[in-house]
Amino acid sequence: MRKGLLILVFGLMAAAAVYGCIYLTCTASARSMERSDKPELAWLKEEFNLSDAEFKRVSELHAAYLPQCAEMCKQIDAQNLRLKKLLAATNQVTPEIETAIVESSRLRGECQRQMLEHFYAVSRTMPPEQGRRYLAWVQDRTFLSDFAMQ
Amino acid sequence: MKTDKPDHRDDALRNVLKEWHSDAALPPRFQENVWRCIQLAQAQTAPSLWAAVAHWIGTMLPRPAMASAYVAILLVVGATAGWTQAHHTNVRVANELGARYVQQLDPYQAVRP
Repeated sequence: MRKGLLILVFGLMAAAAVYGCIYLTCTASARSMERSDKPELAWLKEEFNLSDAEFKRVSELHAAYLPQCAEMCKQIDAQNLRLKKLLAATNQVTPEIETAIVESSRLRGECQRQMLEHFYAVSRTMPPEQGRRYLAWVQDRTFLSDFAMQ
Repeated sequence: MKTDKPDHRDDALRNVLKEWHSDAALPPRFQENVWRCIQLAQAQTAPSLWAAVAHWIGTMLPRPAMASAYVAILLVVGATAGWTQAHHTNVRVANELGARYVQQLDPYQAVRP
């Protein structure tokens, strides 16, 4: 009975050890990305197999784009607030509301133009095949999703 | 030739039993009590699940072939579970980081403070 119990416990401990080793080994890359300074960019490097030089260039483009994006966010928030106040003040479409809607559309178009420029710039720093894959992936998740029929 | 048929054995006893009569009345619910005793005896003799497992651990598991198979199966189960769980974790992390990357770039998806 004692020998049988030892085998039973040994088998369970061995299974737990194998589980832990394989889990930790297979998730090492993911855990490393999460611990990095910029996990999103670390993921981009991993996902699109970027070399160190390519990653450096992508990081520079990313850093340069973020202030533009923040400025757009500010303008969009301000425009949304303006439109919200106009909508709350009336029960019909006024010329002011029409103007605000046009302005919102213009902002959205400008935002998409800037994003697209950035996406193309990033894709050009990647190897051609990865660049195409990146463009398809990022466009699908940004402005192309805005036009999807639900 | 000797035969084991019961009809040919204990003829004397059989004759005595045929001639024996008793006027004593059976106690109340005699048959029911007999069946209860039989069921109780059977229940006590039937091995429980734990006893069966303990018996298997004590007698079967120490056999080299059985021990090897047991450990091998557990190793495969542990490895499969570890790989599957790691795959789920990797997919989840990739989706989360991909979504965060897009949120940084798209003002219409950005998480406002």
